Amino acid sequence: MKHLTDEQLIEHYFGEGANRVMVETHLRICSRCEQVLEDITSALEVRGPEPPARDAQYGDRLWQSIQAPLTPYPGDPRRARFSWRISWPRTPWPSLVLAGACLLALAAAFFSGSLWERLRPHPNQAANSAQAPAQVKERVVLVILGDHLDRSERLLVQLNHAGAATPQSVDALRAEARQMLPDNRLYRQAISAQSDPTMTAALDHLERVLLEVANAPDQLDPDDIARIEHEMNTDSLLFQIRVLRARTTQAQTASASRKGSI
Amino acid sequence: MTKDDHSLVRQVLAGDKDAYGVLVSRHGETMFRVAFRITESEPDAEEVVQETFLRAYRSLPAFDARSDFRTWIYRIAVNCALQLLNRRKAEAAVPIAEEYDEERPGLQLVHRGAGPDRLLLDKEIEHRRHAAMEKMTSDERLAFVLRHIEGRSTDEIAAALDITPNNAKQAVFRAVQKMRRSLAPLWVKS
Ligand SMILES: [Zn+2]
Repeated sequence: MKHLTDEQLIEHYFGEGANRVMVETHLRICSRCEQVLEDITSALEVRGPEPPARDAQYGDRLWQSIQAPLTPYPGDPRRARFSWRISWPRTPWPSLVLAGACLLALAAAFFSGSLWERLRPHPNQAANSAQAPAQVKERVVLVILGDHLDRSERLLVQLNHAGAATPQSVDALRAEARQMLPDNRLYRQAISAQSDPTMTAALDHLERVLLEVANAPDQLDPDDIARIEHEMNTDSLLFQIRVLRARTTQAQTASASRKGSI
Repeated sequence: MTKDDHSLVRQVLAGDKDAYGVLVSRHGETMFRVAFRITESEPDAEEVVQETFLRAYRSLPAFDARSDFRTWIYRIAVNCALQLLNRRKAEAAVPIAEEYDEERPGLQLVHRGAGPDRLLLDKEIEHRRHAAMEKMTSDERLAFVLRHIEGRSTDEIAAALDITPNNAKQAVFRAVQKMRRSLAPLWVKS
């Protein structure tokens, strides 16, 4: 007799899997498989802790804890009630709005205090107790910058592996570079106002690479990419970006651990 | 009259920031619950929830008005939780010790009645359950919680984790096996 596999039994437990009747029939006549199913069931009956209850004001408190650094979307609030489209058009507009919002958040954070200082490894990081809104603001900036660095890293990895790329992936690369350029420019400008030469240099280097990729001719082929990669030293840029990414993650974690529960 | 999620999203995009507060209040607790189930830590869950709503605000122009806001934000929460799990794993410089040797005979308890034995057993079970959760990769843990605790379908998990349904199924499978192996020594064969 061919026994049921663990996978079949786990699927059966979750009420999935083809051939339910066959599985059930087998289970009725086979004590071995029945025992395995019992094991699975026993293990899955063990539950972790239930989420602690939140009181009725939880949602409001949550909103208060995050709302300060959020910039309103530009637009006339009164118009919203009259205009309605099934879906928003895919134009560059939302990303411009987003970029603008990011810049405002960045600028606010940079100019309001020593955020950039805290992005650097700081011996007394834990002792540096800021007010709650400033912490949230800091986390917003870290999230924004972290995202941008993530995205840059992905692009550079793709670029560095583009030797074997198809024309479609080259196209996608170019589109991504075009999308990232305005963001990168905003971040670079905001950051160059602070004195962080490493980050400024990396973003500056990144901007030149993005420009090169974004403005490449329609027929950008893998050879061109190899040339960009070589001339612009993208390997070393990738390394820099990874180091900076680790730094923002570290600062993000430090910022989060300073933050109490809301 | 309470406004539906889509009207609120439109208001936010038209410049009414406070409308977002209604969305946060409305969905905050649900996101906290799922974040807690994944992270099993109150401060971590709070962090995930805050980050979820911050990210969602920034991504609001990309929200497709044909889809469900709650599903959309749930997916963001799952991704924030995944990132946090990965970060926590990376931070744990010392790997989680193999505290629970699977070959260890474990406590052979005959029944699950009351009394001191029961307490001891509960403690041992929770220890082994926790150890199994820690042994799962972040993807496995997430898939396991979404499938088993949150009752999400394989397709929903695949979409949330941006993997194929087959990979989602495999992740659940591997997670269940880890849980089983960790707890197996405790069950008395009938
Ligand atoms: Zn069998």
